[in-house]
Amino acid sequence: MKRLPNILLLIFFFAFIMMLPQAEAGLKTDGNPDGGTLNYGEYGRPATLDPITSNDMISLRISELVFNGLVGIDEKQEIVPELAERSVISDNGRIYTFYLRKDITWHPREGEEPMPFTADDVIFTYNIMMHPKTITPLKVRYEFIKTVTKIDDYTVRVSLKRPILNALAKFSFKIIPKHGPENPKFLTREDPFVHKPIGTGPYMLKSITADREIILEANDNYFKGRPHIDKFVVRPFADQNIMSQALMFNAIDMIVLVNHRDIPQIQGDKRFVLQPYNALSYSFFGYNMRNPLLVDKRVRKAFTYAVNRQEMLSSFFQDQGTIISGPFAPGSWAYNLDVQPLPYDPQKGIELLNEAGFVKGNDGIMEKDGEKLSLSLKVPIEKESEAVKRVVLAFKNYLNKIGVDIKGEFKEWLSWKEDVFLNHDFDIIFASWVFDDSADISSLFHSSEIGPWKNNFGAYSNPEVDSLIVESKLTLDHEKRRTINRKLHAIVADENPYTFLWTLTNYAAFNKKLRHVAIHPYNFFPYADDWFIPASEQH
Amino acid sequence: MKLSAIRPILLLICKELAIASLLLLGVSFIVFIILFLSPGDPFSLLLKGQMASDTIGAGTREALGVPTAWYAQYLSWLSNILRGNFGTSIRTGLPVLSEVIRVGINTLYLTIGSMLVTLLLAVPIAILSARRGMTVFNWTSTIFTYIVSALPVFWFGYIVIYISMHQFGLFPLAFGSSSQKIGWLYFMPPVLVLGIGNGTISEVVRYLREEMERVFSEDYIRLARAKGASIWKHSLKEGFLIPITEIIASKIPFILGGAVVVEQVFNWPGMGRMAWQAAQDRDYPLIMGITIVAAIIVRLGSLIKSVVYIIVNPRASQE
Amino acid sequence: MKRYSQYSTNVSDFSDVPFWKKAGTMDLVYVSYGIFIVILVIVSYILGAFNLLPFDPHEINIKLLMAPPKTAGHILGTDFMGRDILSRLIIGIQAYFLPGLLAIAIALVIGTCFGILAGYWGGGFDTAITYINNLLNSFPRLVLILLMVAAFKPDIYYIMVIVGITNVPVVASLIKGKIQFLKQKYFIEAATALGLKNRIIIFKHILWHNCRSVLIIQATLGMAEAILMETSLSYLGFGVQEPIPSWGNMVLSGANYFMQGKFWPSTAPALAILFTIMGFHLLGDGLNNILEMKRSK
Repeated sequence: MKRLPNILLLIFFFAFIMMLPQAEAGLKTDGNPDGGTLNYGEYGRPATLDPITSNDMISLRISELVFNGLVGIDEKQEIVPELAERSVISDNGRIYTFYLRKDITWHPREGEEPMPFTADDVIFTYNIMMHPKTITPLKVRYEFIKTVTKIDDYTVRVSLKRPILNALAKFSFKIIPKHGPENPKFLTREDPFVHKPIGTGPYMLKSITADREIILEANDNYFKGRPHIDKFVVRPFADQNIMSQALMFNAIDMIVLVNHRDIPQIQGDKRFVLQPYNALSYSFFGYNMRNPLLVDKRVRKAFTYAVNRQEMLSSFFQDQGTIISGPFAPGSWAYNLDVQPLPYDPQKGIELLNEAGFVKGNDGIMEKDGEKLSLSLKVPIEKESEAVKRVVLAFKNYLNKIGVDIKGEFKEWLSWKEDVFLNHDFDIIFASWVFDDSADISSLFHSSEIGPWKNNFGAYSNPEVDSLIVESKLTLDHEKRRTINRKLHAIVADENPYTFLWTLTNYAAFNKKLRHVAIHPYNFFPYADDWFIPASEQH
Repeated sequence: MKLSAIRPILLLICKELAIASLLLLGVSFIVFIILFLSPGDPFSLLLKGQMASDTIGAGTREALGVPTAWYAQYLSWLSNILRGNFGTSIRTGLPVLSEVIRVGINTLYLTIGSMLVTLLLAVPIAILSARRGMTVFNWTSTIFTYIVSALPVFWFGYIVIYISMHQFGLFPLAFGSSSQKIGWLYFMPPVLVLGIGNGTISEVVRYLREEMERVFSEDYIRLARAKGASIWKHSLKEGFLIPITEIIASKIPFILGGAVVVEQVFNWPGMGRMAWQAAQDRDYPLIMGITIVAAIIVRLGSLIKSVVYIIVNPRASQE
Repeated sequence: MKRYSQYSTNVSDFSDVPFWKKAGTMDLVYVSYGIFIVILVIVSYILGAFNLLPFDPHEINIKLLMAPPKTAGHILGTDFMGRDILSRLIIGIQAYFLPGLLAIAIALVIGTCFGILAGYWGGGFDTAITYINNLLNSFPRLVLILLMVAAFKPDIYYIMVIVGITNVPVVASLIKGKIQFLKQKYFIEAATALGLKNRIIIFKHILWHNCRSVLIIQATLGMAEAILMETSLSYLGFGVQEPIPSWGNMVLSGANYFMQGKFWPSTAPALAILFTIMGFHLLGDGLNNILEMKRSK
């Protein structure tokens, strides 16, 4: 009896070998096995699944599996052709011509034949994206396009309002089919398409179960070859502690973003792989320069000196991150490595405060002309907020030591947003910026961005920075832009409108059975069609 | 049931319907006012994640055809409701009615299941201690009910999950692990946790015991007892049915609320969780749909209570 | 003294005694446990108010996060910011003490007014108040509170105002029931016939003589409820906010490590909640039995 499992395995193995030659031409040629299911856990649920109306990270990841753009970005961050097999840029840099692949079909709907992908779909996507009744965060990013015209069924011409640097990378937006949405003019969240989209990507949306599991199946006709893993299942969780336990218990195979406090536990477990990926984001304390106490840059610098960023990073995040000195994500080309982060030096902080005219009062709090250096720190509440609480409480503690009184106030997300961006009723905030592929900080520090619902919430204004930002936007020379941005970095670091903290290294955790896993820092799944599960572990 | 009992029940239902519609109007209005006064624009979340936002954000309402004045917004919502149209959720764009029914059924499972658990635990304890007074067993079980009613429910949920994982090797999530075998077993932990930990068992036991004691000491029961008849038959209606329906009716709003936490811990796609998310998004069509449905459930509970009253004691309806 | 002997004599005599008398000793145990808890609560409130604590509850120690019990003098260990759990546990009661009293006050005052209006004067008042009561009862209360804190401010006083308001119907219907009972016995008619003023009948005869035990019991139960409600809200992130300690947010921050096998940081505050709420429940029920049963005799 004991030998039975082996025999079964053998049969299974043979069956597998015999299946291979029968398969169709759409298979990948890398020799890795097909089959298996990947269940991954997400913290929260996506609102919509299409690439146009969605604006949360969860749907972004899913649309990476279901859709393709005209161009894509490979693991080396280089632009590669996707739906367009090649593109031609005119000499003046204003006309882009895309020659589309002719062998691509849309995912078939039930009982329908798959429809071919043509130039009409590209034009349709652009028109729907720019329609005033379509509400999408993408709109502002594509205002540089003047027209999109169809040359023939497989050729599209895009003309720009003005030449811009690196425009090709921006054509990675996802294309949706013309026959997809019910409303041919604009897309709202009430359209059935946003919950049951069809695309060209490696996975097709099969169904959404009653408990909101999203089931994706391999697209046999995927133009880069059928993806190896048969099925992706997205499982929403409402509690992060329970989600990591689900991983430990093999109820799911992957978590896309591991909570830092769970890293030691997963690290110690041989069944799992922790894969780092560098998120293009950073955390910071931002100062409101409308408050006269914070106008002096020495005060802001004193705060940065007083904060021991290394200690926080090691104790709260297991050292998984990089301390930064300026406004760019350290992974990006714009980051200036020559500018060193200010060291932890509370004594220096006190000196700077004294220089700025503050002296210690009787109660140990700094004051200037009778006005106490007492500031409000507003923080949005998130349910899973331990890390935020830690950083904020530690910050308060560090500043207390140099005689600054910080009153922390936790506020519900939407009212926090209103306080910060509309009423500007705060002194300090703790927040993070998340960047997409571009390194554009113009909306953060340009003085024209001061005002309600604009991103320069701290009212930072410096004519030199303004002109550098404009110059960087207009230049078409990558090297020149790099130089400008490095200069910008140095100025902003010196002026210290934020206390820049760190970029954290994010970790995905997954079961060892998954192989050949590569992760994109922002979109996460672009290379998922090459992932595979060895035949012996597919069960 | 006698035929004569039907008429008062029908009358009662008509009256209840009238009251309920007035109440629903009040409930929806209050919720709307709270939402209107609260900071934050529900439509801003459609553009979350985008950096510059003012130019496009301003046009969102116009694009969606939402009136700007608050009373116009409420009235347009109300007139839609009267035509049976609950609208669509701002966040997901899905029709509110079908969404609320989908999660409402899950919540009903949880609520009814946990109510049953509560009663299954509380009724025997109450009967035993009402009949036999304070024996050691009754005393221990009463103290037990006090202890469990004082547990913080999410902590209790964590304990149950931890124990079932490390002791029994089960991962106790019914939803989000559909591939596991014996699925129904996975529905048990959240039901048990909410049934035991909803903080009402001790109150239920005390109330039932007191009612039964009171009924047992009434003259007609004493008479029955003196004659050697079974007192159960006589005391069942007044000493048991009425208090139980009363408890069920009065605890429904409480358990519906407590379900939020259990739904979060056990990943149960229920109404409480949806309401919680919707409240943070200011997704007012959804919130109002949920509160209306919840209020209807509460009113149904009290309707059942009144019906039971009349069935048990037909004279009461003539007063 | 008299009451005590009355119950103690009944202990040895089990035959043919009404049920409630047998339960009498238990009621005394309940009440004494409840009073013990109330005293503990008051003592810890005082300890906190005069800062007689083993450690400074707000002192952060980044070098000593999540230390197990008995590390470096921390009897119950430290929390996720390296703060002493025992000290935070002791002052944690402050988060509930005054807000809880506010909730109780709101429920009792408004509820009593409503009850009197509906029961004593009746008519239009009765209809209106029944409507309001039904309205308040129709909200799932946690959802209502969620809405309020999400909409305005996660402040314990806001939460407690709503807890108080949602408890109004309970108090109102109890008081109304009492008054109707008295009316049935022609007690109020008799008092009016004697020429007593409404004010005196209401305050002295109805409230003081007949309703005070109901009110006391509702007060103890209200406190228990305030604590439980804050705990649930803390789990959702909207309870008392850091750095102010409350037992609810302590259980939450500890529970993040529960699944990793670190039980102490959540167990200590959870047990504090458990024993305290049990104390208030037992106190309420014990008082109820003793005060109400005595009268019905």
